[in-house]
Formats: sequence, C-alpha cells, structure tokens
Amino acid sequence: MNPEAHRAKAESIEQSLARCTTADYETVIEACMLAGTHWFNVALHAADLLPLDHDAMHAEFLTIGQRRRIACVMPSALAALDTIESLRTPYVRGDLPGGTQAAQRALDCLAELERAAMHARARGG
Amino acid sequence: MSQASGYPAARGDTFVHDKHPMKIASHLEKFRRLDETLRRLEPGRDQELWIWTAMNAGVHLLNAALHACGATTESDAFHSQVEGLYAVPDRTAGTLHDAMLAPGDVMHVGQPPLAAPLPVAIERASKALRTIEDLRERFVRGSERADASLQHDWRVAYASCVRELHATLDACHGQR
Repeated sequence: MNPEAHRAKAESIEQSLARCTTADYETVIEACMLAGTHWFNVALHAADLLPLDHDAMHAEFLTIGQRRRIACVMPSALAALDTIESLRTPYVRGDLPGGTQAAQRALDCLAELERAAMHARARGG
Repeated sequence: MSQASGYPAARGDTFVHDKHPMKIASHLEKFRRLDETLRRLEPGRDQELWIWTAMNAGVHLLNAALHACGATTESDAFHSQVEGLYAVPDRTAGTLHDAMLAPGDVMHVGQPPLAAPLPVAIERASKALRTIEDLRERFVRGSERADASLQHDWRVAYASCVRELHATLDACHGQR
C-alpha cells in the first residue's frame, strides 16, 4: 500500500477514535494500534526501510534485521509501536486495572508515530 | 516453561490485587464494554474500528461461552499475539510472566484449535465471528470500502454471533 493510502487509513481510524474516550480503553488501544501501524508504514516506506509492496503488520513480527534497521533510523517510532502492542494483552484481552492510563499512553504513542511519519515524509518524500 | 514478560505492567507499573481474574465474568464484562462502544460506531463511517471492536467483543463472548460449556478452561492468563503464549499475572506482586499453556482463552476462532467437540450454537457463532475476522485484510488493513449491503451483512453476522453465544451461556448456566 502506498503512503497516501496508509495516511488516509490512519486518518479515517483517528476520526473514529475521536468518538471514544480513554474510558473506552480497549477500543482506544486497538485504534491506536491500527492507526499507528498505518503511520508506521508511511514512515517506513518514506525512509525506504520497506518496499511499497511489503507492509509491516505488527512490530513484534518484524524480522530481527528489519527491527535493527528501523531502530537505527527511527527508534522512537519503533518504541512507540512496541509500547502500543504491549498494551493489548494486559488491557484488551486481559483485565488488569489501569486501562484508562494505558489508553492515554497509547494515544501519546500514536502521536509519536504520526510525528515520525510526517518527519520521514518531509525528509524522504 | 515460563519467563518474565516485556509487558508494561512487568516493567515497573504496579496493579492492585483484583478479585475478578480473567474468567467468565471478566469476559462478559469485557463484552459489555466493547458492545457499548460498538453502538457508538457505524460500520460505514467507522468501518475499521467497527470491524475491530465487533471482533474483540465477539472473541470475549466466545471465550465466556467456551469456558461455560467446558471446551476450554477458565484461567487467570491472557492470550498474547503469539498462538499458545499467555501472559500470566501475579496480582499480588503486580507482575506478568509469559507461559505456554493449553487453552485457556482463544485469540481468534480456531486459534489455537480446540480438541473438544463444540455445541452446535458455538459452531454457528464461530462461523459468524469468522466472517467478521476475515474482513480485516480487505477492509481494515486494505483500502476497500463496504457498500450498504455489506454493512448490513456485517451487522447480521455480529448479531448472530452474539445471539448464539448468549443462548449457549444460558444453556450452560442452566446445567450448572
């Protein structure tokens, strides 16, 4: 998928996310994962870290080599997506207390991923 | 075999002891919360998040029904993104560790596969839920948009899944 399509998907999901609050923490975390992954792909394609015909689905499932290259070029974006993904098991599938705070953390990470995408596009086109 | 996990709660966050581990009641509460959120979303306008929330709500209700009918075991462990790998909380210490366990919760329909024969109503619910799960590639990760007819079909599939699972839970509770 090309960067413009990823951006359109991310923005569409963020519009839906706006109908939720951090009290809806399961859905907020999932929306941040979905939109954040699209922003992540915008950044990866813009930086030529992944070809247009190969999208990242989950940071957790990138190869070791891919993760090392991404960590070298955009460590904060990789860390942000790792953090969002790490919130899913305890707060979406599981019932640990603190979901509202976890949702806020996911939103902060989503903002970081959008910043990384814009920065990569500004540098790489 | 287990090891310390990389989940946030295991990296210094703490959580207080919880009297409601991830059992039937917890899955039902998760379903209730997700279903309430889903009512604020529209499958057309909010296509991606509607699909994802319907799927998550359905999986929690499926896990409740599977536990209730004895096909899977209630346990205080949360399924991870890796099939068969669970995060196990220590609710006193406020930590999580990874463990390979028998189900337990399923992540999606058939993941992990279950050996036990399932009630017919759960089979019907699983078929409906799989319809929603299968939308992810085209309509969430991909760029396809659904027309009104497809959106109607999705609502029907979700309603069918919920109806069948509630019937299973009612039947199983009656046997208990």
